[in-house]
Amino acid sequence: MTADASVSSALPGRRRLASRTVATRALAALPLLALVLWLPSTNDTYGHVATYAAIFIMVGLSMNVLTGYTGQISLGHQAFVGLGALTAANVVKTGIVPADPFMFGVGMVCASAASGVAALLLGAVALRIRGLYLALVTLVFGSVFADAIFTLPSLNGSDAGVSAYRPNSLASDYRYFLFALLLAAGCLYIDQRVRGSKVGRGLIALRENELVAQAYGVSVLRYKLIGFTISGAMAGLAGGVAAFWSQEFSDKNFTDVAGFNLALTFVVIAVVGGLGSRGGVVLAAIFFALTSPISPLLQSLANAMHWGTYYGNNKFYVSNVIGAVLLLQTVILNPGGLGQVLRPFSRWFAGHPFSLHDPDGGDTTAMEGGGVRA
Amino acid sequence: MLEIRDLTIRFGGLTAIDGLSLKVDEWEIVGLMGPNGAGKTTAFNCITGFYKPTRGHVLYHGRDVTRVPPHRKAAMGIGRTFQNVGMVKSETALENLLTAQHTKAGYAALHGIVGSGVARTREKDLVAHAEAILDLLGLSDIRDRRIGGLPYGTLKLLELGCALATDPELLLLDEPSSGMGPEESDELGDRLLALRRELGVTMLLIEHHVPLVTAVCDYVYVLNFGKLLAEGDAEHVRNHPEVVAAYLGTEAVAG
Repeated sequence: MTADASVSSALPGRRRLASRTVATRALAALPLLALVLWLPSTNDTYGHVATYAAIFIMVGLSMNVLTGYTGQISLGHQAFVGLGALTAANVVKTGIVPADPFMFGVGMVCASAASGVAALLLGAVALRIRGLYLALVTLVFGSVFADAIFTLPSLNGSDAGVSAYRPNSLASDYRYFLFALLLAAGCLYIDQRVRGSKVGRGLIALRENELVAQAYGVSVLRYKLIGFTISGAMAGLAGGVAAFWSQEFSDKNFTDVAGFNLALTFVVIAVVGGLGSRGGVVLAAIFFALTSPISPLLQSLANAMHWGTYYGNNKFYVSNVIGAVLLLQTVILNPGGLGQVLRPFSRWFAGHPFSLHDPDGGDTTAMEGGGVRA
Repeated sequence: MLEIRDLTIRFGGLTAIDGLSLKVDEWEIVGLMGPNGAGKTTAFNCITGFYKPTRGHVLYHGRDVTRVPPHRKAAMGIGRTFQNVGMVKSETALENLLTAQHTKAGYAALHGIVGSGVARTREKDLVAHAEAILDLLGLSDIRDRRIGGLPYGTLKLLELGCALATDPELLLLDEPSSGMGPEESDELGDRLLALRRELGVTMLLIEHHVPLVTAVCDYVYVLNFGKLLAEGDAEHVRNHPEVVAAYLGTEAVAG
């Protein structure tokens, strides 16, 4: 290619200026970061819930890679999270003593690897079928896989659960939160790198049009499997963190209705957050963690309004209804999800002038363009 | 460079292409014409590997590539555009040009996922290359626009840019001038000739616009109902009685 490169030579100056603006504006996010780091340290319950939010962020990003970028739907993601939890608990085998730090690390890696491989296998199925049929297959895969493997007595501690005590250095809820936050940040980094490299571009091209992707040289086979594997590995890691968060692996969290509820919540996080929108998905994950039945947030809100008993009896329904309502709201009124709402801010942080009107319309096609094949 | 030998493809009872043979030599711009449903796009899909022909061979640089899958053909240097604009609609013009450089990225997928130094350096090169292509086509001002809302003519031009970004030796263009007015189409003709002159790209194009074909094509094949009707230079083909009959009906010829 002998085209002249004078365009790019004019850019560095402008770019340096932009990066200084970005650095200044990033300072605006510091109070938020301070809040995230400080609040969970004030009380054990906050630390516990904040860790749950970090786990949801990891799963949310896992869904973002699979559904947002690759355009494949999964209604069986609880199986990958559960497999991660099961693997971590069984590899580390703490018994009644705190985990050995080295084995703990090995357990996390194994959790991620196991779910990555399982997702790869599901991806092989997805090469053959698409749309509603794929959604059905993932649904069946999720529940059958969970019911068949998680309930094996040798793997679930003979139905009593497998204990997973944290290593001493992470014993406090706050420390464990910092650990989970670090891994969530790691997933965020991977998501960002995927999006900024040929991998994410290949996945998105696949999502929109397999013929075009192939004409650009993207192998459908390879990239679908890559999408599934990255997603599975993130979900497995989240599962590993979850096992040591609750300090045991119990199959009951991932099978039957509880498991299906989780799977639905994961899909809702991805859609409400905005398909393919990292920031939106993180925000949605935090929201759904804070309004989940394990969080005291809604309980204290209900107490204040004298509905405490009612809420206490109906926690699970309430969180399902919140998810369903937000899902409908997103699909009908705001197809770009939270990511779309956040765009003026994300553009501002990227060094553009602040404007509520989005000059290029934003990426709403992830939903509209039939991108998600279901 | 490209040779098709006795290509036949059937879909159930329909013979879309029947014993087509054609040849494209290095540096040539070859036109493929024919009425709607003649099998032109089907021929493209056989060349690029989206369809597996029932019979016959596709040779590229003398090598039989009939069964090579499409994404590998892209890596071999066969670029293509689509009839109804094939690009990633939710992405910006720049991102589309980056996507198109997939096989030229020069780093492994894993490097991209973990964000290694190699990938970051190469990404900068890819952006510079994409910007150079935008500049070449005079599209620099739509660099960061999502392409979903752009006018059709601009999309066609950008798609040509994307096809160029795959760094092809052979470019298959499916109706590059559709949606363009006469002036734009003249401009496109000059552009195609310039591309050949500067980049040495060989082209095979499906085109209905006769002035454009006459201006750029060294050789023209005309298809009708999957069969080769006529071949030769543009002037010869244009006056060929069977070609006129195929386009306008037999009475027009008689009259």
